Amino acid sequence: MDKALIPDGLKRCPFPIFALWLLALLAVIGWGVYAGLTVLLKGLNVTGLNNYFGFGLYITVDLAIIALGAGAFFSGFMYYGISRFFPQLKELGKIINLAVIIGFCCYTGALLVLLLEIGQPLRGWFGYWHANVHSMLTEVIFCITCYAIVLVIEFTPIILENRKLDQVKPLHVFGHSLHELMALFALTGTFLSFFHQGSLGGVPGVMFGRPFAYRTGFFIWPWTFFLFTLSAMASGPAFTALVCRLIEKATRKRLVDHNVYLMIAKIQGGLLLAYLIFKGMDTLYWALDTAPSFGQKLTDFYRAPYGMWLLFAELGICGVIPAVILLTPKARENNHLLFLAFFLDCVGIGINRFVMTVQAIAIPVMPFDEWAVYVPTWAEWAPCVAMLCYGAVIVSLSYRYLPVFPQEKELNR
Amino acid sequence: MSLGRRAFLQFAAGAVGGTLLTPIPWKLADDSAIWTQNWSWRPSPEPGDLTEKATVCRLCDGGCGIRVRLVNGRRAVYIKGNPKHPVNRGGLCPLGAAGLQLLYAPYRVQQPLKQTASRGDLGGFQPISWDDAMKELSTRLGALRSKGTPHSVAAVTGDSRSSMLPLWRQFLTSYGSPNLFTMPSEADSKAVAASLALGRPADIAFALERADYVLSFGAGLLEGWGSCGHMQSIYGSWREQRPGKPPVVLVQVEPRGSITASKADRWIPVNPGTEAALALGIAHVMVREKLYDLDFAAASAFGFEDWFDAWGTKRQGFKNFVLAAYKPAEVSGITGVDPQRIEELAREFARQERAVAVWGQDAGATPNNVYHDLAFLALNALKGNFKRGGLVGLMPEPPLGALPQPVLDAYASHGLSRDRLDRTAPQPPPLSANAFHAFLDVMAREPAYPVEVLLVHEANPAYALSENHLFADAAAKAGLVVSFSSFMDETAVMADLVLPNHAVFERLDDVIGVPGAPFAYYALAAPVLPPRYNTRHTGDVLLTLARFLGGTVAEGLPWESYESFLRERVQGLAAAYRGAVAKDATVQPGRLEAGAPVKTNFKDARDLWNQLQQGYCWYDAPADPMELLQTASGQYEFACQRLAEVLPPIPEDRFLMPQFAPLQPSGDPGEFPLLLMVYSEPALSDGFYANPPFMNKLLPDDLLLGNDLFAQVHPRTAATVGLTEGGRALIRTPRGEAAVRVHLNPAVRPETIAMVRGLGHTAYDEYIQGKGTNAGGLVEVQMDPITGLGTVWATRAQLRRA
Amino acid sequence: MSGNGHSEHPESAVRFGMVIDLDKCTGCGACTVACQQENNIAFRPDESNKLRTISWMTLYRLENGQDYPDHRVAYLPRPCMHCDSGHDAPCTFVCPVNATKRDETTGFVNHIPVRCIGCRYCMVACPYHARSFNWWDPKWPETMEAMLNPEVSPRMRGVVEKCTFCHHRYYRARDAARAAGEDPDTVLYTPACAEACPTGAIVFGNLKDPHSEVAELSKDSRAFRLLAKLHTEPKVIYLSRHAWVHKQSDNGL
Repeated sequence: MDKALIPDGLKRCPFPIFALWLLALLAVIGWGVYAGLTVLLKGLNVTGLNNYFGFGLYITVDLAIIALGAGAFFSGFMYYGISRFFPQLKELGKIINLAVIIGFCCYTGALLVLLLEIGQPLRGWFGYWHANVHSMLTEVIFCITCYAIVLVIEFTPIILENRKLDQVKPLHVFGHSLHELMALFALTGTFLSFFHQGSLGGVPGVMFGRPFAYRTGFFIWPWTFFLFTLSAMASGPAFTALVCRLIEKATRKRLVDHNVYLMIAKIQGGLLLAYLIFKGMDTLYWALDTAPSFGQKLTDFYRAPYGMWLLFAELGICGVIPAVILLTPKARENNHLLFLAFFLDCVGIGINRFVMTVQAIAIPVMPFDEWAVYVPTWAEWAPCVAMLCYGAVIVSLSYRYLPVFPQEKELNR
Repeated sequence: MSLGRRAFLQFAAGAVGGTLLTPIPWKLADDSAIWTQNWSWRPSPEPGDLTEKATVCRLCDGGCGIRVRLVNGRRAVYIKGNPKHPVNRGGLCPLGAAGLQLLYAPYRVQQPLKQTASRGDLGGFQPISWDDAMKELSTRLGALRSKGTPHSVAAVTGDSRSSMLPLWRQFLTSYGSPNLFTMPSEADSKAVAASLALGRPADIAFALERADYVLSFGAGLLEGWGSCGHMQSIYGSWREQRPGKPPVVLVQVEPRGSITASKADRWIPVNPGTEAALALGIAHVMVREKLYDLDFAAASAFGFEDWFDAWGTKRQGFKNFVLAAYKPAEVSGITGVDPQRIEELAREFARQERAVAVWGQDAGATPNNVYHDLAFLALNALKGNFKRGGLVGLMPEPPLGALPQPVLDAYASHGLSRDRLDRTAPQPPPLSANAFHAFLDVMAREPAYPVEVLLVHEANPAYALSENHLFADAAAKAGLVVSFSSFMDETAVMADLVLPNHAVFERLDDVIGVPGAPFAYYALAAPVLPPRYNTRHTGDVLLTLARFLGGTVAEGLPWESYESFLRERVQGLAAAYRGAVAKDATVQPGRLEAGAPVKTNFKDARDLWNQLQQGYCWYDAPADPMELLQTASGQYEFACQRLAEVLPPIPEDRFLMPQFAPLQPSGDPGEFPLLLMVYSEPALSDGFYANPPFMNKLLPDDLLLGNDLFAQVHPRTAATVGLTEGGRALIRTPRGEAAVRVHLNPAVRPETIAMVRGLGHTAYDEYIQGKGTNAGGLVEVQMDPITGLGTVWATRAQLRRA
Repeated sequence: MSGNGHSEHPESAVRFGMVIDLDKCTGCGACTVACQQENNIAFRPDESNKLRTISWMTLYRLENGQDYPDHRVAYLPRPCMHCDSGHDAPCTFVCPVNATKRDETTGFVNHIPVRCIGCRYCMVACPYHARSFNWWDPKWPETMEAMLNPEVSPRMRGVVEKCTFCHHRYYRARDAARAAGEDPDTVLYTPACAEACPTGAIVFGNLKDPHSEVAELSKDSRAFRLLAKLHTEPKVIYLSRHAWVHKQSDNGL
């Protein structure tokens, strides 16, 4: 039925099945859109946010999804940027399209959710017009939109590789020219995304009235600035690999060489270890110096339900364990362990974003103030889940109609 | 086909690109942002000229000076304290600050209403013209008079410190009814105590501004006792830290850790209701150690030493009585206060040069046990506080123009010859007082005569009274219930006729005296705005009714309007030519001693009226209680000879003297092991005015959450019934039952439950209605055996998990 | 008082600040109510969700943690601290759209609701919870619209708001001074809370004028500031004679 659109020589599931899958996703998206409209029309009172929890699930999911979408910039950086020095990185070309598509989904999805998060979405553009250069959020607004545009540009040639579109000559030429320029965009994107991840980390790090979040730093950037970037680099490609594996499982095909996974594993393992070392140093410095200078002990910050378990889960179970697996050749050879490690890595970064967003503001700073607990409502869950489904739709469409995986034909002969 | 598609794509791309180059998207973005800044459903207040009008607040009897800011002279937008006013010196209480929410309340009654369906049916109220309403009421009143039953008309007013009270009295007397009551207050019992000990039924006043040691027995000085604005201002001055200024010490005696207790320098927790015993224990130590004012006791007091009565019988005097009956060890057993501490407290109190004992219960909305009032008076007498320059006196009456002696026709004489309804009970108490509870009780049971018309003015007894259901029971027996309320409150809802008064800020009123303050005080509350609705000043309504009734009633109330009545009163004040108008806060009438000279600074009645209209107040030095004495002995009476006259033949000695005489709460202590005590919060209006939304915002969420009221319970007490923080519980008393939640509060005495007053309204609007529970419905009112006044101190209660 | 925040602004002779004497404060709430009336603060039928209520002047109840009968409470009214820290207050530092700025000639930390995009970053950054968000459209009972103050615009849904030290009164006072031919830079004024306080617990004035009452009180031995260790340099100073109250002014004291 849609054969004409499917890349030459590739097998795809029958259209009705695909349509059903899409319908299911669209239903969830519909639910999310309904929630979104409710938020826009009725206001944020339908959420679980309040004056203590100005940030909640929306921001947490945004931060997490943007960290995981970092596969796009970091893979691009490795592939386009430094593969000439490390030729083995050329292998990443086999998965780079997927990384770009995931990055696109994550960033555009995050933008949509951000629109709900602000109380006056129609004034969203004030961020450009009345920009406060001191604000980390200004950096975020600029970088996130610029990088989303870069991702659109990066995604475009992939779209133009569609069989039908490619037949249109001007589009073919356009797409081909873009391909030539891709290295430039990838590096621009790298720069933007580096700053963007960092400024998201800066958001909690600069709050000098919030001892849990506040960090000292380098020049104008708090340590969280660098930690967020590093943690995104340490988890983005893992997420790409995880999604790739999911597609492989769902389609019962092999899409990339196993060594691609193994290479990602090595890279992620190394970065995760580096991240953990720095994060550990940061945590110690914060716990032993920064926080005490504010009169607070580490134990002041952890209380049910936001207990110490979060710290252990984030850095131990979802940090040290995946790092060990990924760096141990024997362990990463085991597919189960490999993808478990990727998964834990991603969860750990998600916990980190939650901790820096929600737990950071649960802690009462005034000694006579109360601990508060935040419980998101359906109006927050729905758009977030819908955003994931939106990503799934884009990835599904791309996989079906675009030659995303250059190795697919060869591996499934 | 493919060409078409290409053309379409090109067109689309061109359109997008082209549009972005035009100003359209940018303009739209800008417009949308501007739109969000001007949402039509967000009100934008009309701007205009800002002016201020000074007046005096009438939301309570405190007499605070205020200034109201007006926009274009039409809208009142802000109330501030008048910094030139000596009572509050620029400060305000929260109710005063929120006053405009009462003026502009959606639940204002906008025109006279007549109930056409059954009582209490909100939908049954139909607008009725003032003419028809007045005709209807006056016809009814006229008919009752000509039937010879004018005494079957009764009235209650919440306005006990304005000229409305004498006007009501004049009206009912001329008409022929003895049934006039004011809403209960601690002033009721204090006036009785003053009449027994000092021979004058006046409210008692305390020179707290001159004190350096204040021993408060249960008075909620910071909970609204006396004049809230005045008291807070005095408290602020106590805490003033200036070099050379000795600190004022506040000692609070109270079972509950109230705000006053917390802010006091010392808090003496006592067993509930035993403050008077502690006062007598202190008196014992002072007497035993001769730390009392020997001169006063010897020269100016009666019954301190043993004495002989009219029959020649030797009677025990206060000295020997208190020495025998209130030894610290025994008092300690009653109060729970360590005997050592009682001794220390007594010496401390006696040693201070200017020490005063004040008392009351909480904010002062309930009368006290008269024997206890006498005990606190006696303690002050021992301290010499009634002597010239002392710190306790009687509230002086400003020399206002007197009302003409009512001329009584046969109808009126007949009506007045009947006993007031509360006095028709089988065994009326020996002394007559403002026994409103007793009146309602008789009315609800088997009254000697029925109440045909019940008039309710500036009061909401259906809600605000302790044991408030008494009012509903009594009103059910009344032929016609008339409310003069500006608001559709609980009492107005059960009325047959609502004749709305102007709201405060719309009407001309006056204030006579500052509650609890020693100086003479008079102020006018000039209206700041014309009435918003079709309402009438109740004073004018009474004058109109009198004219309708004609004859001697009209003669007794000859004034054309309430304003001309007030002018006449002020004329009297001017004619007395004493006192002065306070023009700024440097005037401190509270620091004046009795007899201090005050230079009169007004010319004539007109001048005085004009100045009073501008929000200034008249004041004069306090009265000397010893000069006013009207007791049989001509001295301060520790042993009250008046009691010897009224009590059953030859009462025991102790029944003539201050004593600790608690009334036992009813109910089986086994079934009701705890004591329920109600209290007031400064940020919660519990009187005639429902708590305005601004003040609702102040209530902590461990007092009110959603519609749930939190009873305050000590953690240990809660634990005994298995309750944890926020747990749902049932409170049961012999008077009622209520579902509450509990807040574990270590300030509350174990074995007691503290419950706030002011919540649980059933009337008004969604901002008020249904929030919490009315504590007044759970408490037990006990009639004081001497006066019949409805006292409340504690109610046996049971608390269990719900 | 470290006062090092002041050295950052040598150009202005005015730094408005407030001293609140907690020994005098009885927790009556008149300040909060006056603030609501003056600043058209919206209210709702149910205000018991304290995390969603709009409050510029919040009354905190401090407890000494002892059992009956040693239990004591103190009340702490908390307006915006108008932080004087370094180059920015915690909130002004983070606002992406310059909706909240410090006026360096007076020290006011201003907030412009019509520019606010409602991102709530400032609320998250403020350790004093001085900022509230408009979770709902503000709605007054129709009859109560008549009591709205024309000098302060009601805010719209979706924006943040907070205490302004009633700066509209300051600008009104400046206008009056100009009209009277006086120097507008020397005018003083009183915010609604200080005006209403019945015990005189709240004193307002120019901290930089060494002879002002606020400046003198701020040097009192009873003086402390909230969370001084954070170096937010609040311009609201508290007084208390009780050690247990001081102890709750900062962490780890």
